[in-house]
Amino acid sequence: MIRLENVTKSYSTEVVALREASFDIAKAEFVFLVGPSGSGKSTLLRLMNRQEKPEKGAVWVAGRNINEMPDSKVPMLRRNIGNIFQDYKLLSNKTVFENVAFALEVIGRPKHVIRQQVPAVLDLVGLSGKEERFPHQLSGGEQQRVSIARAFVNRPLILLADEPTGNLDPATGEGIMRLLDRINKTGTTVVMATHDQRIVNMMRKRVVQLDRGIIVRDQARGVYE
Amino acid sequence: MFSRLSYTFREMWASLRRNLTLTVAAIITSSVSLLLFGLTLLIQRGFDNQLSQWSGGVELIVYVENGAAPENVTVIREALESTPDVIDVTRLQYLDVPASLIEAQRLFAGDPETLQLITAENIPTQFKVVPVEGTSAALLQQLSEGFRKLPKVYSVVFPSKQIEVLESLKGFIGVRLYLITAFLLVSAVLLIWNTIRTAIFARRREIEVMKLVGATNWFIRVPFMLEGLLQGLVGGVIASGAMLLFNANWTTGVQAFPSESGFGAFVVTGGYPMWIVFWIVLLGMLVGAIGSGTAASRFLDV
Repeated sequence: MIRLENVTKSYSTEVVALREASFDIAKAEFVFLVGPSGSGKSTLLRLMNRQEKPEKGAVWVAGRNINEMPDSKVPMLRRNIGNIFQDYKLLSNKTVFENVAFALEVIGRPKHVIRQQVPAVLDLVGLSGKEERFPHQLSGGEQQRVSIARAFVNRPLILLADEPTGNLDPATGEGIMRLLDRINKTGTTVVMATHDQRIVNMMRKRVVQLDRGIIVRDQARGVYE
Repeated sequence: MFSRLSYTFREMWASLRRNLTLTVAAIITSSVSLLLFGLTLLIQRGFDNQLSQWSGGVELIVYVENGAAPENVTVIREALESTPDVIDVTRLQYLDVPASLIEAQRLFAGDPETLQLITAENIPTQFKVVPVEGTSAALLQQLSEGFRKLPKVYSVVFPSKQIEVLESLKGFIGVRLYLITAFLLVSAVLLIWNTIRTAIFARRREIEVMKLVGATNWFIRVPFMLEGLLQGLVGGVIASGAMLLFNANWTTGVQAFPSESGFGAFVVTGGYPMWIVFWIVLLGMLVGAIGSGTAASRFLDV
């Protein structure tokens, strides 16, 4: 589903975010990217949805080299990738329903599809009955569930999650992980950058560890270390 | 398709309301500059009407009595053509009764009472004389004495000093008004550009989400571009209304001036003001599209 071939990315001559990174992620796999701040985890995620382009190497997503993809095709690529963020990135002036519907509306989905898919995905993330609430009326965990619903409503092939439990207490974080696991079991590939040692050790999924832009460990059913 | 359209218009309207102060400022600037543009065209047209008698380098007009026989007209034409070293024969022009009536309608547009007195039965026809380049006014004056004595010649006239002043005034005012208009139009473009930039900045989080979920650049851009286009369009409509009101008031006002004031022709009537309205609205939309289009392209490529 995702393949990186000798990818190097730097933000200046002194700051090399990623150095000669190579790995494969299969369809429906769940992968943790771990490592200290500045090790290159977020850069890796940004390379996978073409928010960044590498200086060297190739990034393949669903069989296509996305670095060579013309800019006009990038929106179509992103419709197959859901994004989840530590700070949720919800729109404060929109309700829960509108935040999720927004993701379908801006890619031109018709109203009847929106009316059908949004309640279904809100049910999946456990937010039925809270459709009319605004983000500030929700807890952190609930806001992250809205963010997951928005990322998943279009049934993407891949979910990229950047520290999704970073702002949450352990119990709420576990709930979010159970939700991501359920989504993963539907066949969606999940790539998650995290610092959360407890969660990585609890889930026992594949772990790719980075240190100063270099992949130092790639372990199936790994732990944080 | 319908949901996209409804999204585009809903977002455009929401953005207009959010940036109300800047939107109003952009509309006012564009309407003032477009009004000035319209007035410049009106004033130029007024000058053209006033000077139409003397346009194309005409420096002498020989009026022929109404009802003169064709042979009399031929005699006068031959007399004029007999001095090719003074008169540019190729540009000698004869205005018969219908042509003279059309010209009178422009000249006395602001003086309907006089216009009413002019009919096909009493209007003199006329020869418009363009002298050869370098001909002195004294020589032309001397020659005109001979033409005056020809049978059926009603009168021979030269442009008055007033006309010469108007000629130079037209050039002076025209160039400067166009310059000020261009300057104001550039400010309108910049203000619309800034309004759209502010609108984009206010919605940067929303735009980031839109891009990440796969909205195309055009889908994001179009509401902003429409917003700018609408600002220019409203500016153009306001400017057109103000220009038409100004023209109507001026046309009515001129009728109260005494006939000898020389302002009789300084009005613009007929379809020309609507032609200016068309250009004002078109220019307004162009200003809006340029301002918003460049801002949207510059700040949305994230």
